[in-house]
Amino acid sequence: MRTERRVTHRSGTIFDTSRFYRMLSTPAMLLLTFLFIVPLLITLSKAFISTEGTLSFGRIFEMMRDPYTQRILRFTLFQALISTIVSLAIGIPGAYLLVTYSFRGKHIIRAISMIPFVLPSILVVLGFVIFYGNNGILNSVLKQVFNLSEPPIRLLYTFTAVILAHAFYNFPIALGLISSFWEQLPQRYNQAAMTLGAKKWTVFRTITLPRIIPAILSASTLIFLFCFSSFAILLVLGGGPKFTTIEVEIYRRARMSLDIEGAAALSLLSIFVTITLVAIHLWLQRLMIRQEDVEQIQEQRLERKPHTIFGKFIVGAYVIFSIFFVLGPLAGIVYRSFQIPVSRSGDLAFSFDAYRQLFGFKQAPGSFLSIAGSALVTSITIAAITAAISLIIGTMLGARLRTRDKQGNSSLELYAMLPMAVSSVIVGLGYYIITSTLSGGDTLGRTLVILAHVVITTPFVLRSIVPEYRKIPISYSQASLTLGATVSQTFWHVELPLLRPALITGAAFAFALSMGEINATLVLADASIVTVPIIMYRLIGSYNFAGACALGTILIACCAIVFLTTESLRRSHNG
Amino acid sequence: MGELGLVCSNIRVTYPEFSLHLDLAVNKGELVSIIGPSGCGKSTTLQLITGLLPCETGTIMLHGVDITHMPVWERNIGMVFQDYALFPHVNVAKNIAYSLKLKKIPKKEQIERVRHLLDLVGLQGFEKRRIADLSGGERQRVALARALASEPQLLLLDEPLSALDAKMRKRLRQQIRHIHETTGITTIYVTHDQEEALTLSDRILVMQQGSMEQFATPEEIYNHPSTLYAAKFMGEGTLLPHALIPKILVSIDKGPDTVVFRSSGESRQVFFRPERVIVHDNPALAFPEFLPHLRFSDARVLSCEYQGGRYLITCDWNGHEILAYSRYRPKHTKVTLGVRVNDLVEYVEGLVAR
Repeated sequence: MRTERRVTHRSGTIFDTSRFYRMLSTPAMLLLTFLFIVPLLITLSKAFISTEGTLSFGRIFEMMRDPYTQRILRFTLFQALISTIVSLAIGIPGAYLLVTYSFRGKHIIRAISMIPFVLPSILVVLGFVIFYGNNGILNSVLKQVFNLSEPPIRLLYTFTAVILAHAFYNFPIALGLISSFWEQLPQRYNQAAMTLGAKKWTVFRTITLPRIIPAILSASTLIFLFCFSSFAILLVLGGGPKFTTIEVEIYRRARMSLDIEGAAALSLLSIFVTITLVAIHLWLQRLMIRQEDVEQIQEQRLERKPHTIFGKFIVGAYVIFSIFFVLGPLAGIVYRSFQIPVSRSGDLAFSFDAYRQLFGFKQAPGSFLSIAGSALVTSITIAAITAAISLIIGTMLGARLRTRDKQGNSSLELYAMLPMAVSSVIVGLGYYIITSTLSGGDTLGRTLVILAHVVITTPFVLRSIVPEYRKIPISYSQASLTLGATVSQTFWHVELPLLRPALITGAAFAFALSMGEINATLVLADASIVTVPIIMYRLIGSYNFAGACALGTILIACCAIVFLTTESLRRSHNG
Repeated sequence: MGELGLVCSNIRVTYPEFSLHLDLAVNKGELVSIIGPSGCGKSTTLQLITGLLPCETGTIMLHGVDITHMPVWERNIGMVFQDYALFPHVNVAKNIAYSLKLKKIPKKEQIERVRHLLDLVGLQGFEKRRIADLSGGERQRVALARALASEPQLLLLDEPLSALDAKMRKRLRQQIRHIHETTGITTIYVTHDQEEALTLSDRILVMQQGSMEQFATPEEIYNHPSTLYAAKFMGEGTLLPHALIPKILVSIDKGPDTVVFRSSGESRQVFFRPERVIVHDNPALAFPEFLPHLRFSDARVLSCEYQGGRYLITCDWNGHEILAYSRYRPKHTKVTLGVRVNDLVEYVEGLVAR
C-alpha cells in the first residue's frame, strides 16, 4: 500500500514542473487577493484608527470593554449555540432513519438536505413571515379549525422565530453531512461487535456513536459558523435591538450610525471568531478522513423497511414533518403571491395584481413594485456576470489544486477558501468603504456589487470543482500527453470536458448565490442599486407581502432551476 | 545483435526511500518484459522513458535520437496504461483518433486508420461504442489501438492484463504477441506475472528495488538465473547448502570426481527447479539415471498437490525442504529423489558462480 501511494505521488511530477498550471493559477490568485484581501485590510485598518486619527489599539480595547459589545457578543454566541443544538436535534434522528431504513419519501428527504445551499436567506425570512406570522398561513388555518378569534401562534420578532429559522436553514446540513458520513462506515465492525455479544443498543453506544462523533462535531461547527454570521434572518425576524448580533450591529453602525471605525472594530472581533470556527471545522474534517482512511471498499448497505408499527409511524412522521417544515414556508410564498388584501382587516382575495405590477402592466402609486422589473434585470445581470467570473477563477485555481500533496498546495487551498471564513457583511463593508471614497455612477456601484459577489461565490465554485478534478485519474492526463497533446491541449481536450458537470454545478451555484445575496449588497449598495432581495426586503418592511411573494416566487423558480440542474447532473454522473 | 531501438544509459532517479538505476539497451523490433514485485521501479521506468518523469542523470536514445530532454508530447511513444485511461467523455473512435486529430490528419484518413486499428485488435464495428459499455478486455484492446494510432516508434504496456480474468489474459497475451509480430514495433511490457513474461518476451528484465537483477532471454532467466533473487522470483525451486553435496553425490563412472564440487565455502548454495527432480517411490528400484546426480534417499513426503497433469510434492529430507514435480502420486510416505548435477545452479552469496 505504501509503495503504491509513493508511486502515484511520483507520477505527478510532470504536472508539478509544468508552467501551464502556474500560469493559470497565478493571475487567479492575484485577482482573488486583490478582490478579497485589499477591501478586508482597508476595513480592518479602520479599527486601529483612534478618534483623533492616530494609530492605536485604543478603539479595540474600548470596544471590548464596552458592556454593550459584550452583551451582543454573548447573545450572538448564545443564539448560535441554541440554533446548533436545535438543528442537530432535528437532523440526527433524520440521519439515523436515512441510514437504517429504506422507505418511501427517502429521496425527498435527501433532496431537502440540498435546499439550504441554494436558498437565499431573504426567502427563508419571507417564508417564515408568511407561514408563521400572526396573519400567516399556519395561524389562519388554526383559527379556522379551532374557531379562534386571535392568532394562537405569536412567533414573529421573538427569539423562538430566530432559532426556528436557523433550524430550518441548518438542520439539512446536519442531516446531509452526518448521514453521508454514517453511510460510508462499513458495517462489519458492527457485525463484529454483535458476534462478540453486544446488543443493538450497546453496538450503537460503543461502536457507531464514537465513530460518527467527528461528523456530528464537524456539522456542529459549520452550523454554529453559519448561525454566528447569519444576518438577514436576525435583521428581519429578530426585529429590534433586543436581538442584535455582531453582524447586524456592524451593518447598523456602518449604514445608520455612520460609525465606520466602530463597524471595523466589530468586524475584527467577528473575523477572529469565524476563523477560529473554520480552523476547528477543518481540523475535524481531517480527523474524519484520517479515521476512515483505511476504508476503500464500498460495501452494499443492507437497508430494511421499518417493520414495527412504531417504526413506521416514526419514519412517516419524520417525512411529513420535514416536508411540512421545509416546503411549507416556500409553498406559502407561492400561494400568497396570488393574493392581495381587499379590506383593512386583512381579508385576502385571489389576484394576479402583484405580478401585473411587477411586470409593469399596472401602476400602483408609492409601491416599490414598479421598479421590481428593473431589479430583476439588474439581479440577473449581476448574477450572470458573477457566475462567469467566479467560474473562470475557480477553474484556473482548481487546475492547480488538483494534486493534493504538492508543496504549498494545502495552504493555497486554505487561502482560496478564506472568503468563506469571513462573513459576507464584512466583505460588503470593505466594498462600502471603497465606494464612499470613490465617486461614480451606477456602473461603478454595480461593478462593486459584482466584485463582492465574486468574492463570496468563488469558494463555493472551487468546492464544486476541486473534488471532481481530483477524481480524474492522473493517468487520463498522462495518456493524453503520451498521445502527443501538450499540457494545455490536455487541459482543454481532456480535463475540461470531464469537468463539465462540476463546472455547470459551480456556475449554477454561483448564479443562485448571487441572485439571492442580500448581506453584502445591503451593506455596500446605495439606494440606486436595487436587486431582487433588496426590493423584497423593502417590500417586507412596508408590509407589501403580495409583492414580496411575487418576487419571492420568481426567486424560488430561479433556485429550483439551479437545484434541479445540479441534482440531475449529479444523478446522471453517478448512474 | 540487431539495430538498437531504445538505449537508456546510466539513468538515475533518487527519492528519500527509493532510488532507481537503469542501463538498458533494447533492440529494434524486440519485445522486452520488465518484471519485478510492486514498488521495484517498473512503472517508474516506463514514466522515465515516456518523459512523464524527468531524468536526473543519463541519456535516453530512441532509434538514434536523444530524447532525454524532449517533452512527452513530442516523443511519439505509445503507452497502454494499467487502468487503460480511456477518455470516458468520447466514444471508441474518438479515443483512437485522439492523436491523429492533434496531428491534424485529414478526417477521411482518420476514419480509415481507426477502422484498420480496430481490425487489428479484433473489434470491428466498435467505432461508436461508449467507453462505459465496454468490457475489460475490450477496453484493453481499445487502449492498445489508441496507443498504436500515431504509429509510435516504441510501445509501452504497463501491466495491461492485470485487471482481467485468467482466460482473457491468455487470449489477449497471444493477441499482443501477434500484433507485435505484425507491426514489428519495439515494445516494453511491464508485468508482475512471470508466466506472462516467459511466454511473451524476446528478453526479460528482472528488477528489484530499483536495480536490474538480470536481463536475458526467458530460457536463460528460467534455467540459469544470474541471482538467487531472480531464481526465486521466476518460479519455484529448492535451495540447499553446498556442503551437503559430497555426501549424496552419486558418480556412475566411479572415477575421480570431475564435478566442480571440490571447493566448498560457507556461503555456497545450490538451486534446482522442481521439474528437474526425479521422484521414485520404490527404493528397491535402481535409478534410471546414468549421469552424475544427487540422490536424496528416504525423503518424507510433507504434501502432495495435484496441479492438473502433475503433482507438486513437498518433501522433507534431513531437515531440508525439497520441491519436486511427479507424474504420479507417491504410494508411500517415503520417496527417493534424484537431481542431475548438470541441472544444479550454484550461487555464492546470492550471485551465480561461473
